[in-house]
Amino acid sequence: MYAAWTVKYRPKSLNEIVGNSESIGKLVDWVKSWGKGLPKKRAAFLYGPPGTGKTVTVEAVAHDFSMEFVEKNASDYRTEEAVNRFAGLASQYGSLFGEKRIILLDELDGLTGTSDRGGVKAISDVVKDANCPVVLIANNAYDPRFSGLRVYCLLLEFKRPSAGEVAKCLKRICESEGIQAEEEALKFIAQRSGGDVRSAVNDLQALGQGKKKLVYEDVSWLGHRDRQDSIFSVLRMVLYGKTCSSAKQAVDMADVDVDMLFEWIYENVPSHFNDAHDLADAMDSLAIADIYRGRIRSTRDWSFLRYVIDYMTAGVAFARKNSRTSGWVPFKFPQRIQMLSRSKAERAMQLSIGNKVKHRNHISAVRAAKDVVPYLRIIFRNDPQMAAGLAKWLVLDEEMIGYLTGNEEKTEAIVKLMG
Amino acid sequence: MSFEMWAEKYRPKTLDDIFNQKEIVDRLKSFARSRNVPHCIFAGPPGTGKTTAALCLARDLYGDVYREHLMELNASDERGIDVVRETVKTFARVKSIGEIPFKIMILDEADNMTSDAQQALRRTMERYTETCRFIMCANYSGKIIEPIQSRCAPFRFTYLPREEHDRCLKQIAEKERVKLSADGLSAIFEVCGGDLRKAINTLQASAALGKPVDAKVIYSIAGKASPADVQKMIKTAISGNFMEARDQLRDMIQKYGVAGIDIIRQIHTELFRAEVPEQWKIRLADVVGEVDYRLVEGADEEVQLSALLAKLVEAGEELRSKK
Repeated sequence: MYAAWTVKYRPKSLNEIVGNSESIGKLVDWVKSWGKGLPKKRAAFLYGPPGTGKTVTVEAVAHDFSMEFVEKNASDYRTEEAVNRFAGLASQYGSLFGEKRIILLDELDGLTGTSDRGGVKAISDVVKDANCPVVLIANNAYDPRFSGLRVYCLLLEFKRPSAGEVAKCLKRICESEGIQAEEEALKFIAQRSGGDVRSAVNDLQALGQGKKKLVYEDVSWLGHRDRQDSIFSVLRMVLYGKTCSSAKQAVDMADVDVDMLFEWIYENVPSHFNDAHDLADAMDSLAIADIYRGRIRSTRDWSFLRYVIDYMTAGVAFARKNSRTSGWVPFKFPQRIQMLSRSKAERAMQLSIGNKVKHRNHISAVRAAKDVVPYLRIIFRNDPQMAAGLAKWLVLDEEMIGYLTGNEEKTEAIVKLMG
Repeated sequence: MSFEMWAEKYRPKTLDDIFNQKEIVDRLKSFARSRNVPHCIFAGPPGTGKTTAALCLARDLYGDVYREHLMELNASDERGIDVVRETVKTFARVKSIGEIPFKIMILDEADNMTSDAQQALRRTMERYTETCRFIMCANYSGKIIEPIQSRCAPFRFTYLPREEHDRCLKQIAEKERVKLSADGLSAIFEVCGGDLRKAINTLQASAALGKPVDAKVIYSIAGKASPADVQKMIKTAISGNFMEARDQLRDMIQKYGVAGIDIIRQIHTELFRAEVPEQWKIRLADVVGEVDYRLVEGADEEVQLSALLAKLVEAGEELRSKK
């Protein structure tokens, strides 16, 4: 299991944060102003789209100014009583041990409907008389629910960082992971993320983890998609789907065609189903989906596609009964598609040796590649004398000999013996 | 220094050299004597002497210059209809310039020809009977279309019996100065099942190790030479490692081009020797049969076979939980 890079490379200090320097500067000034007495606005309200670094900024402020960090999120302030429970904390500037304190109320968007109204009112009351800095975070500060709250707050907007800024951040990660990354490749991931640093880092991990080099070709296939949902979230919907319809929906959201999506699912099922029975069921579903693909081929009736989709999505999702996932399991690009080109070259080599055998042995090249080449390989690896003789007799070139020995020294020895 | 593939070096040159398939050889000899050959089908498993018999017949007919009167085509490599239209026809219609008025065309692995090509061939055979006689070699005569079968004299080749197999290999071992022990000889027969080409290749590869050839050497060679190490894959799956088993499957299919149908049939053989709960064996046989059928119908080999591997993982799991 790997650690998620979004966690591993989460900024600790303000200078590691990507973008939004203006808002961050204002926030720092406001926090500093608390040292000179109570400011007019007792709370800062950070708002903006997901993944732009709001929460992490507050954490970094606490870190850089050595403040006691108190964090509450949606579940902690649904009702008035719940809010009152931490109101006491906000009434004092600093802890018993002389540390200054900063309070973060995250995910205010999580307050919903009428039942939480009391919550917003209670928060307003706490903020009004707070004796230490309180930071509020929501995606949209202009939601009517927050109208009573806004007047007490310093409003700071967080915008999506530019692709260049995101790419810089990705580059830093690559450096510490020991990945040599092409600038183009990183820029491409950055652009695709649309300024969502978290998803860019997730994509980078999925594409680059364990690699020594990351080139444009490794990432460019992402470009076939123009919709926002990355293949990874689509896969998550299939592999962890809770309802048939949500699993099936994945097909509409994916920007790859059904066959390619099938490959993605087929590749990744084993690492996400760790219970043997679940795995067998999931693979079985894929096998049935494959049968329907065959039926489409033989009848040319594409209406069977619906059953392919049923089995490869919902069928897989509902195979999950006992499987647990622990940690972060990366999604892998379909290996057999990658392998196809590699093994094509290998088979071409076997066939060209087969052709040489054919000229001597009254046997088809296809059959020679399958039936004779394996024996040649053993001979070439063990008996240079015999190998040299056979190479001469079959008129093999050096590349073929190299393939059969799989070893440079042995190849050289054989070529030498051939004279 | 001279080295050849032994399977070629020791291939019989004339019909007299062939010491098995007695009835077939006798009939072929009578063809050679009367200098007339009908169209023939040589059907039988690989390594039983079909091509050899055809080549020997040609040599007995034409003498050492037999190559001038003979064409060998391999349907696995050139199986399309164009080949029949061009290559075969051009060869067949030109009259031979010897005492014998016809040439011989050996169509090897003819069961791999497309049926279109076979249809075209049927007319060619008919039209140019005067100038060309066809010998079709095939593993299964059933895959050759009826009209061609009815125009040909059928010959059925069978695997070499044990004594003849042993005699042949002992002879080669002696001439090549290879120490071949009795258990080594039995091992070759067990591994190759009377396929003489495979047996000789196995012997040569074993000799390359430079040790006396005994059963142990033969088994290790056979294991290395067979890209479809199905037994190992089954073991890997039963031990619970699905990912690795699937990788092995991938190698077989993609790297070595082993046909899914061959893999599944080998799985069936191995299954009953494998360490799975007894009641699972028959359940799995049903799954294997189903996958076999699906593959025949044209389903994706890797997807179907890996679903089967997942079942083996499941069986292994059950086995462990009982212990």
